[in-house]
Amino acid sequence: MSRMLAFTPEVFLSLFEQYNTAIWPLQIVAYALGVLAVFLTLRPGRVAGRLVAAVLAGFWLWIGVVYHFVFFATINFAAPVFGVVFIVQGLLLAWTGVVRGRLDFRFRGDPAGWIGLGFALFAMAIYPLLGLLAGHVWPRAPMFGVTPVPTTIFTIGLLLLTAHRVPLSLMAIPVLWSLVGGTASWLLNIPEDIALPIAGVAGLGLAIWRNHGTPRGKTG
Amino acid sequence: MNRIGPMLTRRALLVAMAARGLVPGTGLVAGGRGAAAAIGPIRKRPIPASGERIPVIGMGSWITFNVGDNVSLRNQRVKVLQAFFDRGGGLIDSSPMYGSSEEVIGYCLKRIANADALFSATKVWTLSRLLGERQMNDSFKLWGVNRFHLMQVHNLVDWEAHLETLKEWKSQGRVRYIGITTSHGSRHEEFARVMATQPIDFVQFTYNVVDREAERRLLPLAAERGLAVIVNRPFRRGALFDRFERHPLPAWAGEFDCANWAQFFLKFIISHPAVTCAIPATSRVDHMLENMGAAYGPLPDGDMRTRMIRHVESL
Repeated sequence: MSRMLAFTPEVFLSLFEQYNTAIWPLQIVAYALGVLAVFLTLRPGRVAGRLVAAVLAGFWLWIGVVYHFVFFATINFAAPVFGVVFIVQGLLLAWTGVVRGRLDFRFRGDPAGWIGLGFALFAMAIYPLLGLLAGHVWPRAPMFGVTPVPTTIFTIGLLLLTAHRVPLSLMAIPVLWSLVGGTASWLLNIPEDIALPIAGVAGLGLAIWRNHGTPRGKTG
Repeated sequence: MNRIGPMLTRRALLVAMAARGLVPGTGLVAGGRGAAAAIGPIRKRPIPASGERIPVIGMGSWITFNVGDNVSLRNQRVKVLQAFFDRGGGLIDSSPMYGSSEEVIGYCLKRIANADALFSATKVWTLSRLLGERQMNDSFKLWGVNRFHLMQVHNLVDWEAHLETLKEWKSQGRVRYIGITTSHGSRHEEFARVMATQPIDFVQFTYNVVDREAERRLLPLAAERGLAVIVNRPFRRGALFDRFERHPLPAWAGEFDCANWAQFFLKFIISHPAVTCAIPATSRVDHMLENMGAAYGPLPDGDMRTRMIRHVESL
C-alpha cells in the first residue's frame, strides 16, 4: 500500500533518524515542556493558560517550519503544504491563547477531561512504547513535541482539558491532520499511529458533546 | 533429457556460463527470482521525430530513488544504476514530484563510470511559466547535466504555459525532445487533444497487460502522429507481482525468452509496435537485471500477445 506514497517506510524512518540527530537534544526540551503543560492543567494558575498555549503553539510552529519545510519536504512534495497548515495552527494557538488569553486549561473530572488527560499521557509515554514494540528504536522513531503524530494527539488531549467550551476552531486542524496523517501512517504500516485517527474522531466527538452541555460565550 | 550433450546449444551454454559469471560483457544476464537470460545486442527502437534509437527498457524513479540524504541508501542506488548501464540501459525518467529522486539520480550519475548512454528525461510539474522555468533550471542542477534529452509536462499541469517554454528551449538546444505525460487513466481526452494538436516528440502514459485502455486511442494516435511512447507503471506499481507472482510462469513463455514474470509483463508492453520504451522502477540490483533481460531476445507476436492476455485473465 505504501506504493501510493512517494517514499518507502524505510526512507520515512531514515528521515526521522536524520531529523532526530540534527535537532538533538531538543527532544528532551519538548518532553519537559509537555510535562509542564500537563502539570499546569492539573494545577492551574493565573498564567497557566497562556503558558500551555505557548507550549502548544511552539510545538506546532516548530514542526511546521523545521520538520515539514526543512526535512519532510526533501522526500514529500506535499510537505510544504503541511508545513503551512501546521504554522497556521501554531499562530491560531498563539493568538487565541497567548495574545488574547482566551484559553483556560483546567482538568475537570468529566469523561472529556479524563480522556483528554489520557490522550496527553498516551502521546508522551504509551506512543513511544508502542513504537518500540513495532521496532521503531531511537533515533529512527517519531518523537513527542517535534513530530506531527504524537504532538497532534497531545494537542487534542489538552484541548479537551479546557475549562469551558472546547474551542472547535482550534480543534479543526488537529482533527483534519489526524485523518490525513492517519491515512499516511496506515499506508506506511506504522502501527502506533493508528491512535491518531482514533484520537481525532474521539476528540471531535467529545468536544461536541462537551460543548452541547456548556453555555455559549465561554470558550477555553 | 541429458542437458549436457548433443542438444546443448550455444545459447544454453552461454546462459549457463553467464549464470556462473563466466561471460562478462556479452550481454548475457543472470538474475534472481528465476535467472534472467539474454543474448545479443540490446533491443532499441527509433524515436520517430529523429530516428535516434534508444533501448526499449528504461528506468523510472518513482519511490525507488527518493531516499533523501541517507548515504547508505544512495550508494545502494548507485549499484542499481550501475547495473542498468552495464546491461545497456539508457533512458532514466524522473520528476520534481518524486521528492529527492532527481538529486539522488545526480548523486548516482557522478559515481558511475559508464553513464555515456544516459538519455535524461524529467518533467516540469508546477503552475505558471515562471515557476516552471525555475523548476526545470533546478532539475539541471540536481541531475548535474547541461541539457536534457527529454523534458515532459507532468500530468498536463499548466501544459499550455510550459510547452511555450519548452518549444523555445528546444530551439536553443537546452532540451532535445519535448513531451507530455499522464498516469493511469487520467485526463485521456485532453491528453489525446494535445497529442493531436501540439508539436511534441514524446508521450508517456500507463499501459500494461492488465491496463490496456491505451490500445484503443492513445497508442494508435501516437503511431499516427509519429510520437515516441514511454510506458509508465508497467507493473501497475508492483500490483501485478502481488497478483500473479504466486503462479508459475507458463512454459510457453520460454518461446520468447521470458524467464520471469517481470520479463513477461515487460515483453508484453514493448512488443506493441507503437511503444518505444517501458520504464520499470526498482531499488534492487537483482530486479534491475530481470527488467533489463526483457530488452533482449525475441518478442511475442500478435497471437502470443493474445495468449498472454488470456492467461493473466484466467489466473
